Amino acid sequence: MKTILASETMDIPEGVIVQVAAKVVTVEGPRGKLTRNFKHLNIDFQLLEGGRKLQVDAWFGTRRTMAAIRTAISHVQNLITGVTRGYRYRMRFVYAHFPINASITNSNTAIEIRNFLGEKKVRKVDMLDGVTILRSEKVKDELILDGNDVELVSRSAALINQVRVLSYLNHANVCSAVAFDP
Amino acid sequence: MPFKRFVEIGRVALVNYGKDYGRLVVIVDVVDQNRALVDAPDMVRCQINFKRLSLTDIKIDIKRVPKKTTLLKAMEEADVKNKWENSSWGKKLIVQKRRASLNDFDRFKVMLAKIKVILSSILD
Repeated sequence: MKTILASETMDIPEGVIVQVAAKVVTVEGPRGKLTRNFKHLNIDFQLLEGGRKLQVDAWFGTRRTMAAIRTAISHVQNLITGVTRGYRYRMRFVYAHFPINASITNSNTAIEIRNFLGEKKVRKVDMLDGVTILRSEKVKDELILDGNDVELVSRSAALINQVRVLSYLNHANVCSAVAFDP
Repeated sequence: MPFKRFVEIGRVALVNYGKDYGRLVVIVDVVDQNRALVDAPDMVRCQINFKRLSLTDIKIDIKRVPKKTTLLKAMEEADVKNKWENSSWGKKLIVQKRRASLNDFDRFKVMLAKIKVILSSILD
């Protein structure tokens, strides 16, 4: 059955400006500006109280549409934390015998990985937009990825993690990886 | 961006499909998720699907399912007829109706009038 109206409201903190037009949400804060397009959802976005609250409505929604209300709010919350605090993902090199050599290139936006499992092949991974990568100074074999958009930062980390996928080996048995550090 | 015209008791709507096409009705009760009970001064109260209604900006102050006389009085007080005929939507419909009811001689007269307007704007 369709529920006539389901809605949820979220607070927008001080110092963050949120704009909504035609299901495209733009969030601006101290660390920069992020946009997200929600045109694939059948949902209404509305700014209340002069920008202090965001209300998300679903009119005549099925179960799926109503579930999308909360996810839309979570996405906007991620945009807000990205723009105020940012996102940092840490990764460690894990190896049993062949030390993984990594060099950061391109002014902190690309990484080259050498000697993975002793291979001559150099693996290059480009970071996505707005993501920077550093080798941690104090901790051995650690990478730090920083950025505003959680989707881009986490996807860059996943792309680096994918170096361990070797078609000729069962990657469950491989004892080297660039792994996420929780 | 949010919705402004809601289905509510007292909302004036235009019927856009069916036997009562073009009639202004007032939503008097909501039957279920798809249908409403509507009423107008010159028709018997009946139920109609929301898909056959186009909501207008006009709303009158009535309670659920009022008597016919109460409804008529409320429509008089809210001056629905005049508000509708002075709104741009209402005016457009009146013009459309007039144009559809022209006979051939009327259309000839309209053609002459248009030519006159164009000529006068060129010569001025």
